[in-house]
Amino acid sequence: MRYRRPGLDLLSHALLLLSIAMFLFPVWMALTAATHTRAELYTGIAPLWFGGEGIDNFIAVLRDPVGRLGVSVSQLLFNSLVMALGIAVGKIVIAILAAYAVVFFRFRGRMLCFWAIFVTLMLPVEVRIMPTYQVVSDLGLLNSYAGLILPLIASATATFLFRQFYLTVPPELLEAARVDGAGPWKFLCDILLPLSKTNVAALFVIMFLYGWNQYLWPLMITTDTAYTTAVVSLKQMATGGDNLVPWQTVMATALLALLPPVAVIVTMQRYFVKGLVDSEK
Amino acid sequence: MATLTLDALNKRYPNGNAALLGIDLSVEDGEMIVIVGPSGCGKSTLLRCLAGLETISEGELKIDGERVNEREPAERDIAMVFQNYALYPHMSVAENMAYALKNRGVPKPAREAKVRETARVLGLEALLDRRPRQLSGGQRQRVAMGRAIVREPKVFLFDEPLSNLDAALRVQMRLEIRRLQKRLGTTAIYVTHDQVEAMTLADRLVVMNAGRVEQIGTPMTLYQRPATRFVAGFIGSPAMNFLPLEQGAAGWRLPGGACLELEGFEGRPSSLGVRPEHLRESDAETALFDVRVELIEPLGADTLAYCRLDGTATPLVVRLDGARQLDEGERLRLDAGIDRLHLFDAEGRRLERRSLDHGRAPLLPLSASL
Amino acid sequence: MTTFQRHRFTPWLLLAPQLVVIAVFFFWPASQALYQSLYVQDPFGLSATFAGLDNFIQVLVDPEYRRALGVTVVFSASVALLALSVALLLAVLADRVVKGARGYRTLLVWPYAVAPAVAGVLWMFLFDPTLGVLSAMLGTLGVDWNHRLDGGQALALVIIASVWKQVSYNFVFFLAGLQAIPKSLLEAAAIDAAGPWKRFWTITFPLLSPTTFFLLVMNTTYAFFDTFGTIDATTGGGPGGATRTLIYKVFEDGFVGYDLGASAAQSVILMLLVGALTLVQFRYIERKVHY
Repeated sequence: MRYRRPGLDLLSHALLLLSIAMFLFPVWMALTAATHTRAELYTGIAPLWFGGEGIDNFIAVLRDPVGRLGVSVSQLLFNSLVMALGIAVGKIVIAILAAYAVVFFRFRGRMLCFWAIFVTLMLPVEVRIMPTYQVVSDLGLLNSYAGLILPLIASATATFLFRQFYLTVPPELLEAARVDGAGPWKFLCDILLPLSKTNVAALFVIMFLYGWNQYLWPLMITTDTAYTTAVVSLKQMATGGDNLVPWQTVMATALLALLPPVAVIVTMQRYFVKGLVDSEK
Repeated sequence: MATLTLDALNKRYPNGNAALLGIDLSVEDGEMIVIVGPSGCGKSTLLRCLAGLETISEGELKIDGERVNEREPAERDIAMVFQNYALYPHMSVAENMAYALKNRGVPKPAREAKVRETARVLGLEALLDRRPRQLSGGQRQRVAMGRAIVREPKVFLFDEPLSNLDAALRVQMRLEIRRLQKRLGTTAIYVTHDQVEAMTLADRLVVMNAGRVEQIGTPMTLYQRPATRFVAGFIGSPAMNFLPLEQGAAGWRLPGGACLELEGFEGRPSSLGVRPEHLRESDAETALFDVRVELIEPLGADTLAYCRLDGTATPLVVRLDGARQLDEGERLRLDAGIDRLHLFDAEGRRLERRSLDHGRAPLLPLSASL
Repeated sequence: MTTFQRHRFTPWLLLAPQLVVIAVFFFWPASQALYQSLYVQDPFGLSATFAGLDNFIQVLVDPEYRRALGVTVVFSASVALLALSVALLLAVLADRVVKGARGYRTLLVWPYAVAPAVAGVLWMFLFDPTLGVLSAMLGTLGVDWNHRLDGGQALALVIIASVWKQVSYNFVFFLAGLQAIPKSLLEAAAIDAAGPWKRFWTITFPLLSPTTFFLLVMNTTYAFFDTFGTIDATTGGGPGGATRTLIYKVFEDGFVGYDLGASAAQSVILMLLVGALTLVQFRYIERKVHY
């Protein structure tokens, strides 16, 4: 039961729509800017409506090497994709296995392993960035996909979330499976994984965003622009030395860089919200 | 088809708590054994030890004469029906039933034939493609049964399989389980805390208390000659009345003053037990109990009267014919046949009568006189 | 609960990938950070001498470090408070209208997916001194906006960009929290003659407090670390260190200035800070989850 007050409802809707417009505004301005030439942009303040370039700027950055970077945005997007997928898939696979061991097995050293994994939750990669850089450098992984991906897999958020989920699986299912003749691997593949589908989807969304949006780490370890990611490249484009900033290029790239994660979150919103809210409770 | 032998089975947890203490039991081929007891008595633990889901600390478990203590559940050739059914939520009914067969490498056509046959017996044919969450409680229960039956195991293990059903369904499924088990002739161990279920299903009953077996026997043996005060109180509903006995000058005194002359019993009695349904109204001078009715529960066929022995706080429950009109506050004189009285010593053990054929009644109620 | 007990080898096989990765990329670097924080290295990395707590003392007495600490506190507090209050307001509105709450969620959730650095660049364009729409608007109001020269304006810019991205995250949690509040409680309060305003502050807000507290911790960590991209892409810590947060200084000293000892000492201090924050958060989670 609610106390309907039509006036208040209308006000709520109006305020919400206004906020949505405000949140969209920066993206709108990026979109209009990306459809102008640089010369047009610098005739005054940024235009509120589309220019005559259409999608030409987008095609240009995707096709041709951009400015001082020397690589096209397609290459940057591909790098971002490899990194995001690598981190998401890697974390999920490792986490599924490790959480399975910790929850469904009893063995000497189990608690030690659990705490060793748990501790990694406390320190994001940014905190240990310098020594991690040295380790990766010692291993010869600078400017490589492995170097981009592996250190970011080293935190155990996903392991912890899978552990939480496994603990909610009724123990009778394991017992029934054991009576039915399923060993550890069969139980994992036949019962546990199919039951984890939603959780895997949710974690995939969260980890994909996490990987795609990384900044500091790829910035440090990719001196070769062939391995730079889309997100990192923006700064190099936007701080163009003495020249005027080529905003139409920067904005086209920015939009291309935000499109994949936004598409993922919008299409998989259901899983994302569930994953986020369930996992943090 | 198998026999099951438990020899001095003990279960201790790593923290030192003992869950089972010296369980001896020998189950015949095709027999239905029901293990019953209050919660925490160890009955579920015992079942899980049989299944191999818990390790056995000491003693030996044999199936068909072979020691199976160390075997994995799947290697014991048992099937189990769980209290919450434990159906795999992502598998259809058919897949649930076929899973164990699949794990044993039964080829697909044989698997499907068996599943279909079992589904037919249980009336599940129309549900084979459904998922567990699309089924009602009763249907899920049936699928859980089907999953156990389809394997044709040596032993069925039932862990309170009916406790999540409503009362009407419970009665129906109870009958069905009994019918199926008889028809298949498979040895079965059935754990429950419901004594009606226990009485109706069992070939033999095992009453457990605090990790020990109190008594093993047919339901009627346990009802008629409970070996301990615990069994006497646990089997039968409403529970048996117990009255303390005190030795007086004129024999054994009950609360309220009535005296009994007890002879021919081994040992020293400490309490007297009588079932509510064995108490009868009596006009005799020698009637054992003078009571005042406190509360009446008419059940239709019977009426339960909750009374107190006259002038005392000692409660006594009596079950009378439903036709008898009772008023609260009314006084009744009640009596029971000699052979309906049970005597227990201070440790709660049953005292047996030495013989029945001496000159006078071994138990002579005297008039209530102080 | 039952577990697989007879398999001694399998769990280690399952754990192996996780343990290897955290050993190489977590424990090794973390111990390196600890080690380096206690040594002074020469600029070429050829030799190191034990320095005890000197690195820490130097860091803590360094006025630049204290300034970065101050910037971090102002920045984090502003981001957390703004992002929380805007999100709470929007969530209350969306929860009120019932119809369309899901649609509003879709339309408000997407900024979460935008990278901090991208968010920074988008807002930098709006505030660009020559062609930015918002800077021009401020110009007509008499505000001379140039975040490349004005430290306060630079800080405001990174705060706005950071808040813009974080509101969506908070909104999802607040909306879920609001929808989980039993309607009967609000009805009871309405019967007890509490008006909407009073109902919110006496019933809804206290019931949301676990969510709020959790989000406060999460927003603080976000402001501490994730905003590095926003800051680096827009202001680069400038002008004159006005937007140099603690994490930015770790990066500058270690990666740009190559003062490993100082950088490591700062890392260790940050570790302690974050560790404390996480512990607080887990105490809160453990209280809510029972196993």
